[in-house]
Amino acid sequence: MPPDKPSYDGLLRPTRRHFLGTSALGLGAMAMRGIIGDAHAAPLPKGTHFPAKAKRVIYLFQAGGPSHLETFDPKPLLREKNTQPLPDSVRQGQRLTGMSGYQATLPLAGSFADFKKYGQSGVEYSDLLSHTGELADDICVIRSMHTEAINHDPAITFFCSGNQVAGRPSMGAWASYGLGSMNENLPAFIVLVSQDATKDQPLYSRLWGAGFLPSEHQGVQFKAGKEPVLYLTNPEGVSPHARRGMLDALGKLNADQSAAELDPEVDARLAQAEMAYRMQTSVPEVADLSKESPATLAMYGESVKTPGSFAANCLQARRLIEKGVRFVQLFHQGWDQHGGLPNGIKRQCKQTDQASAALIKDLKQRGLLEDTLVIWGGEFGRTAYSQGKITKDNYGRDHHPRCFSVWMAGGGVKGGQAYGQTDEFGYNIIKDPVHVHDLHATMQHLLGVDHERQTFKFQGRYYRLTDVAGNVVKAVIA
Amino acid sequence: MRIPASALLLLLAANAASAADTPVDFNREVRPILSDRCFGCHGPDANKGRKAGLRLDEIEGATKKLKSGETAVIAGDTDKSALVHRIRSNDPEEVMPPPDLHRPLTAAQKDILARWIKQGAKYDRHWAFVSPQSHPTPTLQDTSWPKDPIDHFILNKANQAGLNITAPADRTTLLRRASFALTGLPPTLAEVDAFLADPSPDAYEKRVDGLLASPRFGEHLAVGWMDLSRYADTWGYTGDKPMFAWPWRDWVLNAFNHNMPFDQFLTEQLAGDLLPNPTQDQRVATAYNRLHRMTFEGGSIAEEFRQDGINDRVMTAGYGFMGLTLECSRCHDHKYDPISQRDYYSMAAMFGDQNENGLLSFHGEVPPPFIRLFKTDEDRKKEGDLRTAVLAAEKALSQIPLPAAATEVAVPVPVAHFTLDALTKTGADNSIAGGQPAKFERRSSPEDLKLVPGIKGQAVKFDGDAGFILPEFKQLGRFDPFTFSAFVRLGEKNVRATILHATGFYTGDGDATGVELIVDHGKLRWSLIHLWPNSAVSVLTDTEMPTDTWQRITVTYDGSSHASGLRIYVDGRETKTTVLRDTLNAKPRDNALEIGSRSRDAGFRNGSLDEVQLWRKALTAAEVAVLHGIDGRTLPSSTLAEHARLRMDPGYAQAWERLQLAQRALATHQESAPAFFAMEHSELAPKSYVLTRGEYDKPDLAKPCEPGVPARIFPWNPSLPANRLGLARWLTDPRHPLTSRVMINRLWAQVFGAGLVATSENLGMQGDLPSHPELLDTLAVDFIKSDWNTKAMLRRMVLSATFRQSSTPTTDAREKDPANRLLARGPVLRLTAEMMRDQALLAAGMLVEKVGGESVQESAKRRTLYTYRKRTAPPDNMLIFDAGSREVCQPKRLNTNTPLQALVLLNNPGFVEAAKNLATRVSKSSPEPAAQITLAFRHICTREPRAAELAALTELYAFQKANPPQFSPPTPAEPSPKPDPKAKKTAAQPPVLVLPRMPADPSLAALTLVCSTILASDAAVTSR
Repeated sequence: MPPDKPSYDGLLRPTRRHFLGTSALGLGAMAMRGIIGDAHAAPLPKGTHFPAKAKRVIYLFQAGGPSHLETFDPKPLLREKNTQPLPDSVRQGQRLTGMSGYQATLPLAGSFADFKKYGQSGVEYSDLLSHTGELADDICVIRSMHTEAINHDPAITFFCSGNQVAGRPSMGAWASYGLGSMNENLPAFIVLVSQDATKDQPLYSRLWGAGFLPSEHQGVQFKAGKEPVLYLTNPEGVSPHARRGMLDALGKLNADQSAAELDPEVDARLAQAEMAYRMQTSVPEVADLSKESPATLAMYGESVKTPGSFAANCLQARRLIEKGVRFVQLFHQGWDQHGGLPNGIKRQCKQTDQASAALIKDLKQRGLLEDTLVIWGGEFGRTAYSQGKITKDNYGRDHHPRCFSVWMAGGGVKGGQAYGQTDEFGYNIIKDPVHVHDLHATMQHLLGVDHERQTFKFQGRYYRLTDVAGNVVKAVIA
Repeated sequence: MRIPASALLLLLAANAASAADTPVDFNREVRPILSDRCFGCHGPDANKGRKAGLRLDEIEGATKKLKSGETAVIAGDTDKSALVHRIRSNDPEEVMPPPDLHRPLTAAQKDILARWIKQGAKYDRHWAFVSPQSHPTPTLQDTSWPKDPIDHFILNKANQAGLNITAPADRTTLLRRASFALTGLPPTLAEVDAFLADPSPDAYEKRVDGLLASPRFGEHLAVGWMDLSRYADTWGYTGDKPMFAWPWRDWVLNAFNHNMPFDQFLTEQLAGDLLPNPTQDQRVATAYNRLHRMTFEGGSIAEEFRQDGINDRVMTAGYGFMGLTLECSRCHDHKYDPISQRDYYSMAAMFGDQNENGLLSFHGEVPPPFIRLFKTDEDRKKEGDLRTAVLAAEKALSQIPLPAAATEVAVPVPVAHFTLDALTKTGADNSIAGGQPAKFERRSSPEDLKLVPGIKGQAVKFDGDAGFILPEFKQLGRFDPFTFSAFVRLGEKNVRATILHATGFYTGDGDATGVELIVDHGKLRWSLIHLWPNSAVSVLTDTEMPTDTWQRITVTYDGSSHASGLRIYVDGRETKTTVLRDTLNAKPRDNALEIGSRSRDAGFRNGSLDEVQLWRKALTAAEVAVLHGIDGRTLPSSTLAEHARLRMDPGYAQAWERLQLAQRALATHQESAPAFFAMEHSELAPKSYVLTRGEYDKPDLAKPCEPGVPARIFPWNPSLPANRLGLARWLTDPRHPLTSRVMINRLWAQVFGAGLVATSENLGMQGDLPSHPELLDTLAVDFIKSDWNTKAMLRRMVLSATFRQSSTPTTDAREKDPANRLLARGPVLRLTAEMMRDQALLAAGMLVEKVGGESVQESAKRRTLYTYRKRTAPPDNMLIFDAGSREVCQPKRLNTNTPLQALVLLNNPGFVEAAKNLATRVSKSSPEPAAQITLAFRHICTREPRAAELAALTELYAFQKANPPQFSPPTPAEPSPKPDPKAKKTAAQPPVLVLPRMPADPSLAALTLVCSTILASDAAVTSR
């Protein structure tokens, strides 16, 4: 089937009723995907374009712009040249933000954290990420990421949707749209926001929005606590038994309406209500971490016991993908260290390092890592120079879109390597640049999707996650 | 799923014949293929190197001999036409479209192209770029059915497809349908009963007129326009502060309620400020152009966001009035429609005609340009009177004759004098007795500032990051005279350096408010700013300062709010300046004075200061001279006379005092009224250039763009003013091919569920073709002839026989036209998020009906259009029902069906509360459950329940009553919201809605669940 729907093909499409009756996917899958009455939406899942190496994605998004220089990209030269001005030959007149752009001098800042080699592969990680380092042989660090925007809002919007203009579908929405759901009881795209993070820069629902895609592809936010999904809880006094009674009555109402109106939408609506009912059971089940073994809990660290913490969310993510959720995106804020970087990034790494590593180990133990893609990273990196003064134990770094690091593991990724290279200042990329579009293309490729072919016609144009660019980075694929 | 109109048309064509010589219709059959598969590389966009030099969107290009020697299209000759060869080729190197487009042609499409060439390769202009013409009403055999020419067009086409019309809907259904179409609410039971009891033949007409006259009409129409105009209550980027915009929303709903002609509606929004003597309302209307998002994120670059704002305006007007994707031409010529990149930046010149900043103030002040919103005519008149008084006082002042020259000049004692001969632990001492010392500002310490030899003793040399702050030195307002004097030495030719300011911190000019003395490319700039650049007074010296030379710089401000009150003296003599801005219209924020540095800005790098002195008055020219050691007796007599006037003439002092009082009175009155953003043309607006690849920092200076329009769509009349008003006139020219069609199509979609052009957002080449082109065009012409009468057009549509049909299809109709494009049956609408919630509130008797005013939280129980819209966190229950975030223009909402929707209807606190209230309401009407249930059903769904429905609900009632709710603890108290003490109480922070618990009374609990079930049923969520 071609990826788009030229209008002339319209006549060949089955009517919805035919489809409901005959599809091997069955009613549940149809219902989960939702049904829309719009000529411009392709109503059927495209499936994969070629065999998928990853069936699902867990994206550990680190919002605020983690410094690559204290984490994944060691630069001894910066220590040597600590406090010396950034050479103009390195900056090359590239734009800076208004926060440090007017600074009288741009003093280079060496990392306070030490690096060492890990694993057989000997990839260097900072001491702040020793748990992650332990898994060096499973992880591919990309040190040559770059992006376009220099401020948080445009940059994080760009990273999450491939465009800094608001209103484009997010990564997870594309995955839901393109690949559909793998379960009948849970949404295809779920979002978890860390409650233990320092909320320095806000998050917005557009980051997991459906954009112009039908709204069922929107990320559904799972929250820690009694009601993981909005409106999941029945009013007090309405038992599951009572709710079942209501659905039975609703079924009868809609059956009568369907017979009277001859409109297949009525049946579809009922199927959605039934799915909602199933979610009321399946969601609390999947959100209940209490049955996890002590060993598993210990692996994720002490904070896994704090509901909504990054660690708890990592564990939650594993439970969700086990149940067939296609795309889980975690957001952890607090990486925006314009000043006070040493203490700030220590705290960030402490909150995330152990649990991120535990997630990989946990997936591996359960045989899930091979077809689950895990990605860790933020919207941009940070400058080699200090924003504000450097003192003995303090400095800060401004936003830096020209280079930064992310890592990927599992799901067909070739671990044990650091891909791409920055200059010795950690300022410019000197080898194998990877643009955000390239990362998206690669992610989609691992999911079995040709990023150029997964399109959606909107306002007369064919849109895709990678806009008009993006190349699959073959070298990171196993 | 809906079958696109073009497919249906094909179906009709296929019915006729499909032989090789069937005539091909270029617009309907050929252009969609060329546009979708070819124009990307062989279309209007010349920027990216048109592939092979071939252009297929016009006949000249298509038939031109190419460099390769081939010719793509040779009319009548398929064998020699390279196009035919290429589309039929099996060679992946040769075949068109190339495989990497991933959109191959079908055999049928290849056949169409070949037949088109064989038949002469005739090009027609794109249908939507030709002025609409009225078409004769088709004659019908059955003349009893039609009520309006609309019905003739509809039935004619339905018959051609082998369909017949459907019987009229029953009256209750029709009333529900018309009520939703015109007011967004269902009828109340009283309205239903009155309508059913009215036997007169024009009962329906009367009811429709009642609906059109209801204030609910404007509220309902406003919703779609708010989507298109990206109306919200917050600014939308990081931080997402409140945006004061609702007066514009009220303008819109009032305009609809008063049936403002659409051409006027368009003109006032695009260009109300440019109309002669614009009223306050006409200026409020222009906020339409200002509703785009704005950021105050630290470090943002103002020009980048100014360009984004302008783009948003162009894009929004493109969708709203033209049904085109103008924004595609921001980076390159449009790939499909005849809109060049130059056209785009000509439009940008129209919408970027403001003296404005791309960034929002960190403090969220209304970004200029703005107007003052006076509540009453009296207040507006008072403003005029106060203005007159200021003018009179200015005149009186100017008429006072110059006194005799002063013979003595004494320099007043300053309030602060920093000799800067030494630094203390915390800063520098003030040599004036009792004066406050200067402190190191918080980022600096003694080692950052260096003592160097000065003009008298030591001086301080700055590094650009560190400086002094005078925490007590505040209140430098627009009426407060002030003088700063110091010896200044530049250590380099600073491009930008702050010597002195009281503006807090700097974010790309977006937030600098207060006095400011900076070095600007070696010159001195002296300003008092409320918000740059629109509300400020500012002057710039004509000459550059020398480097490595001590000069005494003195700057004064006389408290007049005018640029003429800003003076700069070098070594005791006034230096020539150029006025940059002279439009200060509100008070600056009250920040402390800072010297040598500014947060997030370049400080006085390598510059030195010595003998810094400050006065809370404006020194006269004579005093400045004497301060510098010039002998007062040598000064020109005019300078001495001016000194005498300012210091010794009681008459002048009195007149000055009167002027100040008049100005303060005006300012106080103005500032008592809220500022409201609006458009205001300014000659100071930056020029528009083509931006290379649309990048804000790559203007192509060789391609300046004067204000203009995409004239290949409709020619520009050179007698029109080249501004937004001219644009409005161009759009409302009766021959303009798009404006009327776009609006008719939108009104049609509102009434019939989908537009005659299904892609109501795009009437360009990539849009769908109209299902009934003649009808669309005829209505468009009628609309213009009716003086753009929106209510009259909607009235025709809902009174048509087409609208009045039953929506239940026959099996045959459902098979032939599942999406009801041909309207051989009545329309079905899934209610919108707004309708769904409003219906529940109305049914429960909870709806608080009040027209207009500030946006509210859901707890206020107002109509949903008034719900506070926070762009980064839109109301979940609305998003789930396909409402957008209002971050950008949304021309159309999708219509989805998801499990989360069921959860909203069954468990959202608002819907549960409505069910509970409705249960209480109907429980009082009758002791009989069946009667109660019937009444509840009617309140929600308008009609009576059918027998099977009533049976199902009665059974549910019995079941629930037999299994009453169990509570723990057993004596239920209604949960109440627990206020979070840390949560800030702002309109942007919605109160937590609490999910009500079931009533303890088993009957009432059972009835509540019945109501909840009805609210979630198909009969409730649709208008059929």
